[in-house]
Amino acid sequence: MSNDKKELSANALAVANRIGSLRDFLAFLEENGQCVTWEDEVFPEPDIRNVAVAAGRDAANGPAVIFNNIAGYPGKKLVLGVHGSFTNIALLLGYPKGTTVKELFYDIISRWGADKPLLDFIEPEDAPINENRITDNFNLYDLLPLYRINEYDGGFYIGKANVVSRDPRDPESFDKQNVGIYRIQVQAPGEFTLLSIPAHDMGRHIIAAEQLNVPLKISVMLGNHPAMCMFAATPVGYEESEFAYASQMMGSPMRLTKSGNGMDILADSEMVIEAELINGVRSFEGPFGEFPGSYSGVRKIPRFKVTAISHRNDPIFENIYIGKGWTEHDTLIGLNTSAPIYAQLKQDFPEVEAVNALYQHGLTAVISVKNRFAGFAKSVAMRALGTPHGTMYLKNLIMVDDDVDPFDLNQVMWALSTRTRADDIIVVPNMPLIPIDPAAEVAGKGHRLIIDATSFMPPDKLGSDSKIVTAPAGPEIDALAKIIQMLQNGEKS
Amino acid sequence: MSLCPRCQAAEDKLRIEHKGLNAKGELVWTIFHCTSCSFTWRDSEPAISIDYDKREAFFRVDPSKPYPVIMPPEQYK
Repeated sequence: MSNDKKELSANALAVANRIGSLRDFLAFLEENGQCVTWEDEVFPEPDIRNVAVAAGRDAANGPAVIFNNIAGYPGKKLVLGVHGSFTNIALLLGYPKGTTVKELFYDIISRWGADKPLLDFIEPEDAPINENRITDNFNLYDLLPLYRINEYDGGFYIGKANVVSRDPRDPESFDKQNVGIYRIQVQAPGEFTLLSIPAHDMGRHIIAAEQLNVPLKISVMLGNHPAMCMFAATPVGYEESEFAYASQMMGSPMRLTKSGNGMDILADSEMVIEAELINGVRSFEGPFGEFPGSYSGVRKIPRFKVTAISHRNDPIFENIYIGKGWTEHDTLIGLNTSAPIYAQLKQDFPEVEAVNALYQHGLTAVISVKNRFAGFAKSVAMRALGTPHGTMYLKNLIMVDDDVDPFDLNQVMWALSTRTRADDIIVVPNMPLIPIDPAAEVAGKGHRLIIDATSFMPPDKLGSDSKIVTAPAGPEIDALAKIIQMLQNGEKS
Repeated sequence: MSLCPRCQAAEDKLRIEHKGLNAKGELVWTIFHCTSCSFTWRDSEPAISIDYDKREAFFRVDPSKPYPVIMPPEQYK
């Protein structure tokens, strides 16, 4: 994507230099009216869930919410919704409130890469995360204000941890070291289960450790730099470092240090839980309300025991509300799901204009493409299904022309209304699919639906196709729209 | 303490995990864990989550039945 690269704006650099941690970002959000503190006493259930859902209703501008008065947890702090709106993402990238999702998409594309990491390594004794160290008598229920996220979850979940693990077959490799978000259910004061599958990097590490019968040590980072969370949730290549991607996106160095068990961790996170896989053991886990908006059921999954915990003074527990969309999960992961699919398509098909895979991690996506010849969009759709993320996630694909903004659903619906024909629908049955699709008849399998909503071109039969109206567009119309907005707001033009 | 709200395991299968106190040191709630089905709950939660009769039957767990195992260790040996 070298042709998409551009220099960061002065504002983006200023924001990047200012934000080195979750705390820095919360202060910045607060200054911009995007972080509020809930001072009234809340009970862990159902109050936290209720406030989180209410705050998350506004995907455009909803704020992060800090809870500092949780019954039974005096002095503890919890924050939800840090990535809960596109305005919060825009502020992180140095843009103002009101920046469109499409603008953010192109900005993230321009920053995409791991070839120029900006990482500073500092000594563990100098790292704020090591202000406090616990080496025995662990009690996660006491250290963290834990609660049930959805009413039928099987327990109390840590839903936004960034988990670092190294490949037991190549433990010295920095690039094969993985940082990912996996759901963690606390199972005892010093033990938890962690859900991964063989398709995940972490799953590969678990399998390798059990095959080799060697310890798998992990570091669970909580309350992290906001860019780290975005890349821990991004499907990057197995031998690519999420730390490198996160720092390169920000354009400013991220500070790393070593955890007590040898992982590279962020020096300024709120807490790190060091743990070790209990080889060969599987425990009941779930249900858990997952991102498609349905519960994934009870399973037996790998279990870990805590070996040490480090944390800052007065640590802030960052968690996420996840469930029936729209939720923070969609905003956190949406643009970073879209960007790699775009990058992979663009290599073969420069005609691809944009990819909107915001919906449930890409279970539905809209791709805009300039048709090179009749039927071309269908070939691009097939290629999208073969991308690493597409293989398991892209279930419904809507292909639109390059004159349609895939992030503007009014325009997408216009394309569906006016450019689809009965024989332009392709259904590919019996394909692999993530096991938690609630529509699946067999978990792990599903269909692919491609709707070609691009225009026909020769040698297609054009029939009675009418000519499309050329609506006035461009900077002149944009300026007029701004004047109208000012008139509406009672401002002088 | 009575039975597990999810699998109805008896008291000897249940463990007290943690007691939440207020700033004055008074008990606010208690967290329990069922060692039979791994359900964790707090006694201050709404009944829909912790009352066996009010919970949807769909979410009951019978630990004696087989459940899917993620990455079964024996498969990779």
